[in-house]
Amino acid sequence: MLNVLLIILFGSYSTSNVVMEALLIAGLYGMFNKSGIAGWWAAVPCARNYMLARCAGKEEEGRVYSVLGFVTMLLSVGEYLASTENLIMMFTIPTFALEIIRLIYMIRITGGLLEVYGRRRAWGWLWVLFPFIPALIWGFGKKYQPEWKVEDIRRVSRELISGHTVQGMSDGLTVNLEERTATEFFQKKYLLRDIHMYVRPGHMVLLLGGSGAGKTTFINAVNGYEKAKARVSLNGGDIYGDYKKMQYEVGFVPQQELMRGKDTVYHTLTDASKLRMPLNVSGEDRTARVEEVMDIFGLTPVKGNLVEKLSGGQKKRLSIAMEFLSNPSLFILDEPDSGLDGVMARELMEQLRKIADQGKIVIVITHTPDRVIDLFDDVIVLAKDSERTGRLAWFGPVEEARKFFGREKMEQIVMAVNRKEEGGEGRADEFIGRFAEVQHG
Amino acid sequence: MAEIREKKAQRRQLRIRHRGRLEQIGIYFGKMLRMFVYQNDWKVLPMAALIAALVSMVIRKNFFITMEGNLTGSFALVCVAIWNGCFNSIQVICRERQIVKREHRSGMHISSYIASHMIYQALLCLAQTALTLYVCGAMGVKYPEKGLITPWLTVDLGITIFLISYASDMLSLWVSAIAHTTTAAMTVMPFVLIFQLVFSGGIFSLPAWADNLSQFTISNYGLKCIAAQSDYNNTPMVSVWNTLEKVKDRELGGTVTAGQISDLLMSDKLKAVSEFRAREIDLDALLRSLMKNAGLTPPETAEAAGEGEDAPRKTVTVGEILEQALNNPSFEAVRDEKITVKTTVGELLEAAGEEDVKKYIQDMTSRVSANPDYENTPGNVIGLWLIIGFFALAYALFAMITLEFIDKDKR
Repeated sequence: MLNVLLIILFGSYSTSNVVMEALLIAGLYGMFNKSGIAGWWAAVPCARNYMLARCAGKEEEGRVYSVLGFVTMLLSVGEYLASTENLIMMFTIPTFALEIIRLIYMIRITGGLLEVYGRRRAWGWLWVLFPFIPALIWGFGKKYQPEWKVEDIRRVSRELISGHTVQGMSDGLTVNLEERTATEFFQKKYLLRDIHMYVRPGHMVLLLGGSGAGKTTFINAVNGYEKAKARVSLNGGDIYGDYKKMQYEVGFVPQQELMRGKDTVYHTLTDASKLRMPLNVSGEDRTARVEEVMDIFGLTPVKGNLVEKLSGGQKKRLSIAMEFLSNPSLFILDEPDSGLDGVMARELMEQLRKIADQGKIVIVITHTPDRVIDLFDDVIVLAKDSERTGRLAWFGPVEEARKFFGREKMEQIVMAVNRKEEGGEGRADEFIGRFAEVQHG
Repeated sequence: MAEIREKKAQRRQLRIRHRGRLEQIGIYFGKMLRMFVYQNDWKVLPMAALIAALVSMVIRKNFFITMEGNLTGSFALVCVAIWNGCFNSIQVICRERQIVKREHRSGMHISSYIASHMIYQALLCLAQTALTLYVCGAMGVKYPEKGLITPWLTVDLGITIFLISYASDMLSLWVSAIAHTTTAAMTVMPFVLIFQLVFSGGIFSLPAWADNLSQFTISNYGLKCIAAQSDYNNTPMVSVWNTLEKVKDRELGGTVTAGQISDLLMSDKLKAVSEFRAREIDLDALLRSLMKNAGLTPPETAEAAGEGEDAPRKTVTVGEILEQALNNPSFEAVRDEKITVKTTVGELLEAAGEEDVKKYIQDMTSRVSANPDYENTPGNVIGLWLIIGFFALAYALFAMITLEFIDKDKR
């Protein structure tokens, strides 16, 4: 029984291994304290591996590593308790396989640790072969300090909450998003918070934000694909409450051309029309709509071509056309101009402007906004606050955004809210707070 | 009342409905047929024919003829079917996972998508089965005519091969639904194949603990089914006799006493010796043969002498001759004399009647090797079909459930 306990706590019951593991725990205690993690985590089997990975900025690897550690621990206990040679073999073979995978993950985590502590690669060998030695040295050596601390993701800044909500309208898009959270490895993370806006019909809106600011999460929350704690209504209809019906009112064009390359343009659109258009539309009307959409997007000359044979611009237009078939009221496009040259990107955006002019709402994410900014009515700026939560730093007309941020170009606005380690100015909290005040009146 | 009915009808008209699950199956099935032509999915058909040709070169000689041939032939056909099935669908979902995700977002039902794959893959497996049977036949595998369930064995066998292919196909479809990339799917594939082949339970002798694992393989039931259809239990086993034939020239010998030989010949413990003693010998023929060997002219036969067929034949059993010889006092005098015997296995077999020994050995080893799981009965075969069919449906269901979580994919 004691041996089983030793296996659970230290991974082995042999004296030398237990001693080495105990020394590692002691070292980790020091390292965790330095990184801003409670030192007692070092004593918790499996979880200590995850915490070590967090110190190394390798959270994802840490998750896998600790789960593997847990399974290996169970197998080791099974191996110890197994009575027959065959049973022992059944535990030993997977344990061996898992140990190889664990080693790979340990190497990855070690890479992160070396970076965080600014040490040479030679330390990596020690970490892999005798981890207790570097753990003790780094844990208690004064000159070994991590470059940054692990942030407590449970902390939530409350002082920047606007407390503002937008009244639902019978037309247009109303978003009242309180929070969008995700639970990863037993920890709740805030991805988005406190985003409220009303977009008028016929408006073309630019969605700006640095990498990881939550643009895609926001879009998915708006169209109901990934529900948030929010109320989203489109032309009076509740997107969350009546998703089955409303999903056809929202057209989402993803960044990549997600179409079957070996199908023809015509068949791609015909199948899309069958999926997206209501049953009460007759076959003739459906075909007419397909022909019309092909004309609008300039695809008629290539209707018999395989999708993979189309140019980049044609593929983008086909991808948009697929969503346009059902005539949605809200159009969301994730980087529709990626991979297109300036002229083609401009043409595409002008086409989207025409769609907006038909009374539809068009929301566009783009990383090169300045070449087409004259086509947009409003701009949404999302930024990561100090807790790494996506927040609204601005929503309103383009011209006012320029005044608010004191920047002429949209790319400069993104730089102003981006974090310093991303090459930005790190003023996200400032603008989030100011905009919260503006919204609060 | 009429007013209410009218209002209801109006409301029904106003309600916007989109294509349901059944209609979507049609859309995706059509798409898959186009992919068959444009995406080179048709390549699996000539591949199936080629694999069948290669395998039949090995199995054609003994399949449906000997017990060993039936087992290796059954195993080979199971391998072909599993291979075909697995490679039909291993990439079909993972290669377009992002597209499926987009379409699911646009209202596609996962159940329709999987159901259309089920129909399409069934047709593919059916075509591959027909090709496999045809190519094997053309390469020289001789199918017995009569089947257990249908009047034709090729049809029975075709159903089994189809079911094995289809179940493997659905298993791969499930793997394809789990894997996020084609690389991941192709990495898992060898493990799936090796597991199926090693734990088929017929070819490799498994330890008791591993034997239970074979209950979860399609190959186990497939092998049992084809072996049963090939009438494994009632075909001769030839390996023991073949081994004996290879040592025909080996010399045997040793020193024994005449008494030991007589005791052996008169023993009732050995069935073969008893049967040997009971064998009847035509004295006339024996006498003539002896005279001929001695260079003497034998007298005319009874028939030639005009005594006709009615004349009584002079026969005696070996046992009677031995009794006469061994109970003779002069034999008693030499009973303890040592004799050096030198012969070959072939001579011994000839003496005992080679054909009789061959038949005896083949029948006996066949009886000993008979396996109740390979019983050639309609009940057994139908039971196995149902199990394999259940596997296919279960895997398709798992694929459907797995793919329902596609929205949870990490971005």
